[in-house]
Amino acid sequence: MTTLLQQLFNAVALGGVYALVALGLTLVYGVMRVPNFAHGGLYMLGAYLTYASLTGLGIGYVPSLLLAAIGVALLAALMERVIFYPLRNAPHVSPMIAAIGVLFFLEAAVQLIWGPDFKQIPAPINGIVEIGGVIVTWQRLIIIAASVVVVLALNYFLKRTLTGATIEAMSQNREGARLVGINTNRVGMLTFAISGLLAAAAAALIAPTLLVSPSMGEVMNLKVFAIIILGGMGSVPGAIVGAFLLSFAETFGGAFISLDFADVIGFAMLVVVLAIRPQGLFKRGT
Amino acid sequence: MKTRLLFPALVLALAGSAYADKVVNIGYSGPLSGGAASYGKDVQSGIEMGINDINKAGGVTVGGEKVTFKLVSLDDRYLPNETATNVKRLTSQGIDVIFVPHAGGILTVQPMTTRDPAFLLVAYSSEPKILEAKNPLTFMLPPRYDNYLQPFVSTQIKAFGKKLGMVGTTSAYGKQWADAVTEEWKKEGGTVGSNNGVDYGTTVDYSAAVTKALSEKPDVLFIGGPSQPTALVVKAAREQGFKGGFIVMDQAKFEQMDQIVPISYLNGSVGVLPTKEFAGTQLFVAQYQRLYKKIPTSEAALNYMGINVIAKAMELAGTTTDPAKIKGSLDAAARALPQSKTIFKMKGVSALGHADADFIIASVKDGKYTKLRLDTVFK
Repeated sequence: MTTLLQQLFNAVALGGVYALVALGLTLVYGVMRVPNFAHGGLYMLGAYLTYASLTGLGIGYVPSLLLAAIGVALLAALMERVIFYPLRNAPHVSPMIAAIGVLFFLEAAVQLIWGPDFKQIPAPINGIVEIGGVIVTWQRLIIIAASVVVVLALNYFLKRTLTGATIEAMSQNREGARLVGINTNRVGMLTFAISGLLAAAAAALIAPTLLVSPSMGEVMNLKVFAIIILGGMGSVPGAIVGAFLLSFAETFGGAFISLDFADVIGFAMLVVVLAIRPQGLFKRGT
Repeated sequence: MKTRLLFPALVLALAGSAYADKVVNIGYSGPLSGGAASYGKDVQSGIEMGINDINKAGGVTVGGEKVTFKLVSLDDRYLPNETATNVKRLTSQGIDVIFVPHAGGILTVQPMTTRDPAFLLVAYSSEPKILEAKNPLTFMLPPRYDNYLQPFVSTQIKAFGKKLGMVGTTSAYGKQWADAVTEEWKKEGGTVGSNNGVDYGTTVDYSAAVTKALSEKPDVLFIGGPSQPTALVVKAAREQGFKGGFIVMDQAKFEQMDQIVPISYLNGSVGVLPTKEFAGTQLFVAQYQRLYKKIPTSEAALNYMGINVIAKAMELAGTTTDPAKIKGSLDAAARALPQSKTIFKMKGVSALGHADADFIIASVKDGKYTKLRLDTVFK
């Protein structure tokens, strides 16, 4: 029983991080129709900026997280302006290739600046908490709490504010949004900025429990693409549900069947869902 | 940082070539980008430092000609097929000595050594299969890992108990290690839990695997892959309350792990003694730290040794281009070199091409390394 609860905590913490990264990706796809392969690169950059703020500027963990989130958000907005905006009328494959190019560029640039060595971000609160025989590190509790807060804030922003509504509107119907006077350029940039913000925040949250390296974005890329395909490309609730489905499948599949199959189970689930519902679990734009 | 390091090397190589009669290129195919880049750069730094030292001393004399060296590195991202492509590119440039630092790549290109153009393969991997191939043009640097099994297992059974949990990496090399350690553990009368190996390259979070392994209440955990993720496995296990010991696969190095977790987490581990703890390595460690701003592991040290033995062997063989003759002189070269050039005490090179250098295993107790005795040594 304790083992089950322990695994439950592991799965929820991992799912929270997956959700944050996947949300940004699904928003960008919903609004821009661009599968942003550079998203993992933004996530990786978020971790490095947090590391640099912590060690270089000597500021605390929370200011570093915010600084990294803002930095990556600005960079993502710039990326939309100089790369994806000029390609908006190009064949669909062009922005995809551009995104892959950005991913490689970010990886190479980070390796040049910080080197290929693994970096480590110290946890803001060290130590463990014991809840009914289950041992949880403080960092995992922070991850769970912070991801809930961020998801709620994002939901409030999308559903209750005018700017958020423009993003939703554009995701549902691009032409319609333009007809009612929504500035689609501004919304595109904003969406990219939000996706960068979420990716960087997720990276800063999970970084203390793992190692920061230039290639850390590649693995995350693979997982979040599986998540948004599973949940429905462009769907916000789909990204959240997909994230937890994948983390639960990986954790419990690994625990009850075999860890050798942990990754296989995650992707087998993807195949099954797509066979039954080719559009994913949720429709886009909801 | 990369350019800063490369630039003096370039200047040196160019300056060297202005005075010397001949520059011999040495090939290297290893991971320089991707997840294993850090490992690949460690290996590269050892070869590079060796070459720079030789060139600074004026090079070596081969058949009356002054010879200096230059390193030609290609990235293979740890993929054996890329290693094969790189090796073809290097040999087509007339390179006769090639370093490869991973078992997958080594076993793939081994059959190519004797084809035309032939080359000498310098293998940095402790996989015994490399020697089993009986390839005439392979020079293997590290001690074989089967040396570690018996002392690791008997030490940990005595110290902690008879139940072993498995959380190793799932690379080809890691799986073979896991099988070998399982067999040895059973041979000594212990029981082995279910295999919870995870891919240290793609796993985001190790707690699930560790939780599962710990639910079987093991006394000792088998762990290992690259040093840094291995340290994270240790961290997860200690944070979940594991009090037992660790058997650490030789790929993971204590001196890199203790930069990620407090050394107290490593108490009760057995593994390979850090290079800096060996007698007679202080000068090399100090020089390396000045140049590369990090602690050298055996990746740097053994490859530094490798290039020095090769240079000496070329001198003795009187040729820089005949791999078979160079291979034939390796044993004499290894015996002729002082320890300042080989870092570890060298007893020679076996007929199969295996460097017979000293190696020591150690356990961590109260944050200190205790050397363990070896009864039998496979060469």
